[in-house]
Amino acid sequence: MKVVVVGAGPAGIRAVEQLVRAGVTPTWIEESPDGGGRITQRPPAGFTRSAAALYGADAGRARRLHATLDAMKPRTDWRPDTLVWNIRPQDRVLHTQTDGAAQAEVPYDALILCTGAMDRVLPLPGWTLPGVTTLGGAQVALKAQGVGIGAKPILVGTGPLLWLTALQYAKAGAKPALVLDTTPFLTKAWQAAGMMWNAPTFLRGIGIMAALRLRGVPIAEDATPLAIEGVEGATALHWRDAAWKEHVTPCDAVALGWGLKPESQLADLAGVPFDYDALQHNWVPRRDAAGRAPVAGVYMAGDGAGIGGAEVAELSGARAALALLADAKLPSDAALTAHLDGRLRTEARFRAALERAFPYPAKLAARMEDSTPVCRCEVITAGELRAAAAADAPEMNRAKAFSRIGMGRCQGRLCGTPAAEVLASALGVTVAEVGRLRGQPPVKPIPLQQPAA
Amino acid sequence: MRQALVIGGGLHGLSTALHLARTPGWQVTLLERRHVGRHSSGVNAGGVRRLGRALPEIALSVVAAEMWHGIQALVGDDCGFRATGQVKVAESAADMARNEARVAEVRALGWRHEEVVDQAEVRRLLPAVSPHVVGAIVTRDDGSADPMRTVMAFRAAAERAGVTIREGIAVTGLARTAEGTIRVQTDQGDFEAERVANCAGAWAPDLAALAGETIPCGTKASMMIVTERLPAFVDPTVGATARALSFKQTASGTVVIGGGHQGRSDKAAETSTVLFGSLAHAARIAAEIFPCVAQARIVRSWTGTEARPPDDMPVIGESRTLPGLFHSFGFAGHGFQLSPAAGAAVAELMARGATNLPVAAFSQDRFAVPA
Ligand SMILES: Cc1cc2nc3c(=O)[nH]c(=O)nc-3n(C[C@H](O)[C@H](O)[C@H](O)COP(=O)(O)OP(=O)(O)OC[C@H]3O[C@@H](n4cnc5c(N)ncnc54)[C@H](O)[C@@H]3O)c2cc1C
Repeated sequence: MKVVVVGAGPAGIRAVEQLVRAGVTPTWIEESPDGGGRITQRPPAGFTRSAAALYGADAGRARRLHATLDAMKPRTDWRPDTLVWNIRPQDRVLHTQTDGAAQAEVPYDALILCTGAMDRVLPLPGWTLPGVTTLGGAQVALKAQGVGIGAKPILVGTGPLLWLTALQYAKAGAKPALVLDTTPFLTKAWQAAGMMWNAPTFLRGIGIMAALRLRGVPIAEDATPLAIEGVEGATALHWRDAAWKEHVTPCDAVALGWGLKPESQLADLAGVPFDYDALQHNWVPRRDAAGRAPVAGVYMAGDGAGIGGAEVAELSGARAALALLADAKLPSDAALTAHLDGRLRTEARFRAALERAFPYPAKLAARMEDSTPVCRCEVITAGELRAAAAADAPEMNRAKAFSRIGMGRCQGRLCGTPAAEVLASALGVTVAEVGRLRGQPPVKPIPLQQPAA
Repeated sequence: MRQALVIGGGLHGLSTALHLARTPGWQVTLLERRHVGRHSSGVNAGGVRRLGRALPEIALSVVAAEMWHGIQALVGDDCGFRATGQVKVAESAADMARNEARVAEVRALGWRHEEVVDQAEVRRLLPAVSPHVVGAIVTRDDGSADPMRTVMAFRAAAERAGVTIREGIAVTGLARTAEGTIRVQTDQGDFEAERVANCAGAWAPDLAALAGETIPCGTKASMMIVTERLPAFVDPTVGATARALSFKQTASGTVVIGGGHQGRSDKAAETSTVLFGSLAHAARIAAEIFPCVAQARIVRSWTGTEARPPDDMPVIGESRTLPGLFHSFGFAGHGFQLSPAAGAAVAELMARGATNLPVAAFSQDRFAVPA
């Protein structure tokens, strides 16, 4: 049986572990040079900062994951630096590209997609300036390259990643000039009861905020970012505080991020239907609690199957592999399966509270000025999107045909969320009703000139 | 008012409906299964090309070209049409000989739009072309238009002319009534009309079959690829004599590459899939003719589906089994340019039973097995 696991983050690592345990040798494909995924991304060889410094409270998790990753590589057909850019579900074939060039077709009988997540953004005037990045990008800059995005960055958004990134920067000696959270403190506090479903993580969150205050990092909650100022790069953020007072804070870089969205284009190309998850404010590929898609042979785990965080990723990765093994009538650990099901149920409650605590500021997206570019790749403004709505585009794919939104390099991965908000509010319908952009290969740009497959 | 129904909201359906609605005495309703422009008409390469047409198609294509040059007057929008020229490059002496012969043949029929040019002229027209290109055929006032914008312009013009457009209705059956009209069955009840146009694109042969008529047709699933933006380097749309290529740089700088390379289509699911082999092939040809794109990256690809008769020419004419039903399909990858003229012809056939426009060559009788 040919099993392919896409992704070597926490979900992929734990999925492979269970497959190998059952005697299966999967093909394991990872886009990056090494595994670890985003949260526990490994620094390049020769990089000297300690695990504790890099991953903070996640250091233990990171060490355990890396140990399993290294143990599993030789027991799989390990293919790093390899992008899966298309799936032909009728033939059960993946198209891959290694090192930006070598093409291959990889057949599969079963597939576990552990494709992770990416930042959700809210476009502001000036967000296309050099020096503006996503929170995820800011973390990668620190972890994988060891250099931050700036010496006095401003971090804007909401969610645990905002606070975590802020602390990582503060500790690395690049004290943020401001941490701007669009969520009011009360919204977060209100959810504290729900968050106790994962008390350690919750308490860590509270701890991070306290640590930042202690280090004198300016914090604004319930605030609104207005515009990023700059000519050759970001030099200041204009923003409004909870009391409606406007401020200008100088900076040398800005990172933006309002929670995460699943990187689910491969699930889309595999033919998995999607549902709108109102709580997450995301379209998520349909799967059962074990990670089975309604498409035979396709399984999903981790953030790519719906945002759950690193812990859920590990649990759901193992769970999806067990589901695959059970479906294939191969030996699978019943006790572990039951344990994982219980853990996943508990985590789901915590996650629900977390989503309520850090909501995507849909209203800000809907109110975006006409001149603000929603799409960075093709420079399509909110105004052009509203014109598409006026020209009778009742859903995202038609808006794409009219305005070119989502036709650029990122294929709407970045602009899809805010564009849907702009379109929905222009049409006076819910964001679920405007739908989502259909996936098209390649999921990421591939070179035109290719050696024969 | 006499009632007419048009099945299919692609450009051919829209154009037919528009022209018929402008004919006094006709009340036109258009039925579209998904939404207007959902299939070929919304996703094609936008090539407005007479260059290289099969000889029987040239006359209609020439009429269409004139209509494109007056498209603003026809539909109230310029449809993004720009007469930037079409160039078909020759890569060898053999290609040049073929080009000379082709243009001689076209000129012998009295057409003047195709012109053979030498290496110096092709280099002037296409400064970025590979040095191995030795010459070309050029049609200077061909060009390209924006497909989606064209669809929306035809739609708006049709609605202004009084056409009722109903989206989300699928035709499921065609039958003759006792009164001699046609009953069109749909998933949302029956419609009745004196005249019906079958402009259902890839699915049109199936509708013909519902009317009891077998018209041999395969399916085409042409593939397009788009690169990231590049600095402007080419104005005309470019093809090649000996190889399948259509190559165009858009105003935004992206390069759109097609040329009939086939993906795979699933007609029932109304989807089609990109096939890597043909994609790589198309990319290789493009990079050989324009070396400056060799380093570019592909950001998108897609396919569109269309019916393809055995001789790659459309089927235009009245049904042999259900009088009052008029076919217009099978444009086999080159029907975007023809749509203004073909729609006018079909509307005339529907209204008067005859047309002076040159469509006689497209009768389905050409496939009839001699008795
Ligand atoms: C990738 C690609 C590139 C191309 N490039 C060019 C080019 O550069 N130049 C050129 O001249 N041509 C080009 N073409 C060809 C051109 O796009 C087509 O010839 C033309 O658009 C056909 O229009 P149509 O209206 O016949 O079909 P379509 O646009 O496919 O419309 C048919 C419509 O009928 C509807 N329908 C089907 N069945 C039913 C039913 N039972 N009930 C109701 N509605 C139904 C469908 O939903 C569809 O909307 C290209 C085609 C493709 C696919």
